[in-house]
Amino acid sequence: MRKVNQKGWFFVLPVLILVAFNALVPMMTVVNYSVQETFGDNVFFWQGLDWFQQILRSERFHAALGRQFLFTAMILAIEVPLGVIIALSMPRKGFWVPVCLVTMALPMLIPWNVVGAMWNIFTLPDIGLLGYLMNHTLGIDYNMTQDPVAAWITVIVMDVWHWTSLVVLLCYAGLVSIPDAYYQAAKIDGASNWSVFRYIQLPKMKQVLTIAVLLRFMDSFNIYTEPFVLTGGGPGNSTTLLSIDLVKIALGQFDLGPAAAMSLIYFAITLFVSWLFYTLMTRNDAK
Amino acid sequence: MRYLAILLTLLPGLASAQQAGWGNVGKPVDKPFSWTQPLWPSFWMAWTPATLAVFVGIFSAMAVLTVLEIRRPGGDERRGVLGLTTTRGDRLFITLLGTSYIFMAWLGLIGMPLWWPLALSVAWGVFCFWKV
Repeated sequence: MRKVNQKGWFFVLPVLILVAFNALVPMMTVVNYSVQETFGDNVFFWQGLDWFQQILRSERFHAALGRQFLFTAMILAIEVPLGVIIALSMPRKGFWVPVCLVTMALPMLIPWNVVGAMWNIFTLPDIGLLGYLMNHTLGIDYNMTQDPVAAWITVIVMDVWHWTSLVVLLCYAGLVSIPDAYYQAAKIDGASNWSVFRYIQLPKMKQVLTIAVLLRFMDSFNIYTEPFVLTGGGPGNSTTLLSIDLVKIALGQFDLGPAAAMSLIYFAITLFVSWLFYTLMTRNDAK
Repeated sequence: MRYLAILLTLLPGLASAQQAGWGNVGKPVDKPFSWTQPLWPSFWMAWTPATLAVFVGIFSAMAVLTVLEIRRPGGDERRGVLGLTTTRGDRLFITLLGTSYIFMAWLGLIGMPLWWPLALSVAWGVFCFWKV
C-alpha cells in the first residue's frame, strides 16, 4: 500500500473549525427550527413536517422560485458568452493589459449594496442620468419603479454590469495560460479563427469556465442585496427573488419555522443544481 | 350538622383531587421520553431528539466512510450505470440528496404519511451503493 502524507489535513483544520461555526452550526439550527413553531423567547413547539408541506404547496413559493430560475438563466445566458467574448478580445501582451484588467476588476470592488444604490439613483426616471435620458431626451417610456419589465431589465443589466468581469477575468486567466506553440501549430495547419477557438481556446478555458459558471450560478441564485436595494422586490412582487421572499417571511412576518423550511428547500435546490453543473462539466475529464 | 353535610359533599371532590395529583405538588415528575420535546430548553439551538438523530445519522455515515477510506484507500472508485465516476462519498451524497428530493416531492404532491417515500429512499440508497 502506498503511504500518503496526511499532514496537510492539520493545515486545513482552522478553516474547518471556522466553517463549522459560521456554516454548520447555523445550518443545524435551521434544521431544528424547520420542524418547530416558535414565538420567540426560546420556547418551541413541535410542528413536524407541516412547514415543508406548506412551503412546497404555496403559490407564493412557486412564483418566487420561478422568478429565481428565470433570473439565473438569463444572467448566465448573457454573462458567460459575453465574458468569453470580452476575454478573447482583450490584449494578451503590452501596455493595455493592466489597464484592461484593472478596468474589468473595478465593478467587482464595489460592495453589493452600493451597486444597488448606484443603479437605483442612475435609473430613477426623474433624477437618474439614465432614467432622465430615456424618458425626457429619447422619449422612451422607462420607469423601473412601476413597470415590471423595466424593473427586470434593470436588475439584469445591473447584474451583468457587476459580474461579467468575473467571467472575463477567469477566462482571461485560462487564455493566457495557453502556450504560443498551440497557436503556431494552428497557424501552420491553416486553422480558422473558429477552429482555434473551438479546439484550442475553449478546451483550455474549460476548467476556469466551469468555476465561472458555478460561481455565477450560486451567486445569482442566492442574490439578495442588489435587487433588494434597487427595487425592493417590486413593483408588486415582480422582482421578489427567492432570498428576498425568504427574508420577508423570516424577518418581516417573523415566521421562523416556515422560513427555516424554505431555506432548506432553497439549499437543496442550490446544492442539486450546483452538483449537476459540476458533474456534467467535469464528466468527460475522467474518461 | 350543616358543616358536616358540606364536608361530605366535598369529600368525593377531595378524593379525585388527590387522584389528580394534589399530593404530588412540588415533587419531581418523571416525564416520559419524547422524540419531539425540546432537548435542552435553555440552549439556543432548539435541539429535539428527532433532529439530533438525523445529524447523528449523517455524521456516523461520514465516520463509517472515513474508517472505510483508511482501511481501503481510493474510495472504491468506479463507473456506474448513470455514466458517472463515483466514490463511496459521492454515492452517499447522491443518496442523501436524492432522499431529500423524494421526501419533498412526496410531501408536495401527495402528503402525509411518509412510509412510502421512506421505502423509496431506502431503495434509492441501495441502488446508489450498488449500481451508481
